[in-house]
Amino acid sequence: MKIKIKAFASAREAFGFDEKELTVSDGIAVKDVIRQLAKSYQPAPGRDMHLLYSINEEYCRDDATLSEGDRLAIFPPVSGG
Amino acid sequence: MISIILQQEAIDAASIIGQAGTAADGAVVSFTGRVRTPSREKTVLSIDYEVYGEMAQKQLRKIAEEACSRWPLSHCTIVHRYGGVAVGEASIVIVASSPHRKEAFQAVQFIIDTVKEEVPIWKKEFYSDGSNWVHEKE
Repeated sequence: MKIKIKAFASAREAFGFDEKELTVSDGIAVKDVIRQLAKSYQPAPGRDMHLLYSINEEYCRDDATLSEGDRLAIFPPVSGG
Repeated sequence: MISIILQQEAIDAASIIGQAGTAADGAVVSFTGRVRTPSREKTVLSIDYEVYGEMAQKQLRKIAEEACSRWPLSHCTIVHRYGGVAVGEASIVIVASSPHRKEAFQAVQFIIDTVKEEVPIWKKEFYSDGSNWVHEKE
């Protein structure tokens, strides 16, 4: 199945993309998508960063599972305001 | 009435305050968050705000709705900048109106605290000698 993935801020810089489409196995968990992405992870200082996740613009845990067409986002702790 | 705005241009706080409230509101409370220097002992020139627009809109609306359910607000406006914001400029303006001041003060405090915890916006500080992503809890 296909999902869309977005990365923001230091996660965008570390993973080296802001948005892309991925083909993944049905029902894959967020953490397994991250593991797959991490293969192309730059060995940057942000490597061990704390990441947060959302599916379809709602926060989720890393064991949440994905469905066809989902929009996954990965990002560091927020710092707005 | 809830109004959520993400914008690149400067925020006109006076205009938002001027339009807030009804004849029944004795209180219009506003909070302005500004880019400051120094930060972490470095001279800040500006901050670049990165926003996950669709999710930030949803989260900001949820926070405003929560505030309106807890306190009797007639208006609640949250405006947040994205892109480059210079030192001294406002990055966020929150305005809430209610019949009495206590509720509006509490609502605005709740909103800014929750925005900082939950809304997917990130800031990168720019200095004369480089830049750095800011993580509030560091």
